[in-house]
Amino acid sequence: MNKIIQTSRGLAILRACTLPFILLVVWQLWAMRQPASSPAPLPLQVVLTAFELVSKGGLVQALVQSLGRVVTGFFIALALGVVIGILMGSSRAVRESLDPIIESFRPIAPMAILPIAILWFGTGTSSALAIVSYAAFFPVLVNTVHGVSRIDRKLVLAAQTMGVPRLTVLTRVILPGALPSVLLGSRLAMGVAWTAIIAAELAVGAKSGGGGSGGIGQMMFVFYAYSINLNAIVVCMVVVGLVALLIDRIFRAAEIRLLPWRN
Amino acid sequence: MKPQERQGQGPVPSQQALATAQGGGYGWLRRTLANRWVVAVRSFAIFAALWWLFYAWNGNPLQLPSPVVVVEAVWELLVGGELAEHALISTVRLMIALCISILLAVPLGFWMGCSPAVNSFVDPLVELLRPISGIAWLPLALFIFGVGNTLPVFIMVYVGFFPILLNTVAGVRQVDRKLLSAASTMGISRAAVLRYVLIPGALPTVMVGVRLAFAASWAAIVAAELIGSPSGLGFAIEWYRQLLMTPKVFAFILVIGVVGYLCDVGLRSLQRLLTPWSEGTGVQ
Repeated sequence: MNKIIQTSRGLAILRACTLPFILLVVWQLWAMRQPASSPAPLPLQVVLTAFELVSKGGLVQALVQSLGRVVTGFFIALALGVVIGILMGSSRAVRESLDPIIESFRPIAPMAILPIAILWFGTGTSSALAIVSYAAFFPVLVNTVHGVSRIDRKLVLAAQTMGVPRLTVLTRVILPGALPSVLLGSRLAMGVAWTAIIAAELAVGAKSGGGGSGGIGQMMFVFYAYSINLNAIVVCMVVVGLVALLIDRIFRAAEIRLLPWRN
Repeated sequence: MKPQERQGQGPVPSQQALATAQGGGYGWLRRTLANRWVVAVRSFAIFAALWWLFYAWNGNPLQLPSPVVVVEAVWELLVGGELAEHALISTVRLMIALCISILLAVPLGFWMGCSPAVNSFVDPLVELLRPISGIAWLPLALFIFGVGNTLPVFIMVYVGFFPILLNTVAGVRQVDRKLLSAASTMGISRAAVLRYVLIPGALPTVMVGVRLAFAASWAAIVAAELIGSPSGLGFAIEWYRQLLMTPKVFAFILVIGVVGYLCDVGLRSLQRLLTPWSEGTGVQ
């Protein structure tokens, strides 16, 4: 019995690895057929470049810079989104007044405000922060409003009947009640923010002649435009993917840890 | 029935009369002010006023033009046809990309949803690629395709592919097993099972996937056009920023919002038209 499970597990792993492996082999074969002068990336070369970039290419530094921006922008968005979300969720007048404005900004992609961000804040960190906060704001807000408006009215009324002050109602009833939605919104927001920072750094790099914004997106642009190095670009792409995966896993773990009553 | 109805209606006018009496004869005014549209107009008016105040305080029309100038710029671009031109280019690219994504992802999703073996082959690769955002493909795609039409379409196909695929797989799996068993008990051919059971069962979820794919693609097209395209809405905003014609930058940003909103409304009515029986919830 145990053996059957083991073999089926081995089979599953084998199947899982088949397609990526075939893809890698095809890529390697295709790249080897290219003339030596072509900058086509090679899988083996990519691995070597990865080690090189980590040891002396400043990949870690660029990553830390990008992550720092994402986390800062995310917390700005979280603070704004949760406060406005709670106001909108608990008061119908506020919701009806703000909803048209929010809904008309939502379909405007974060990258569309990049030109304005450059005009206002230049090409540095504050520009990137503005875009990240804008991108992360909407998922947090929408989910907070949803979470607050879904709270059991009876709990709020019961607390008020017992003469609990309004601030305590907020911290003890409304915030815990809305927490699952806020966390879900945070996970989505962080994903969007990570995409937005790459786009922002890339575009700032592209539109300001590579001038100093830094970060992993900028790094990719430099590898594309100046030192043409496609291996390094692939390394950056893999790192971007890994970080996105890691962010997602951390938030899912936090959801399980902070909301034990839901599982 | 009739007297009861009348009784039920009875108190309503008197309450209205009471409200009117309490409101000192301004009940109609209060009701008009509480109307949704009036509230929306009031919000936009306050927003425009704040914008204008900020513009007056900032005193730099290159950074923040006054709302009036932006409206004028919209009008000018609209009359000149430039606005329609760029919006059309972007929308056509979006439609082409969405069609390609649907054609690729829906059949594959049905195949993965029906056969666990196929799923165990393909799913790991999907999970491996999915975290790499479409934006991160930009430099490599720029190198492969160059600046032009292919680049934004490629990025959007990539971005739209995953939500449609995941929702199709989930939709096929959600189809009631009993319906499938019933269909095979009655000896229906596999093609008929697909046509009459699987497709109607999975369609609501697939449509949710298409809407998510649209939202992701629309966000990506701006970035893709901004960096690697000589036309389209994303290109236009960056072009006018470099020319320091800020009112036109704002005008195009406005258009991006409006077109995005209209496309979503269109997809929503398509969703209602195709799957009137279900609201459907998707996976992200």
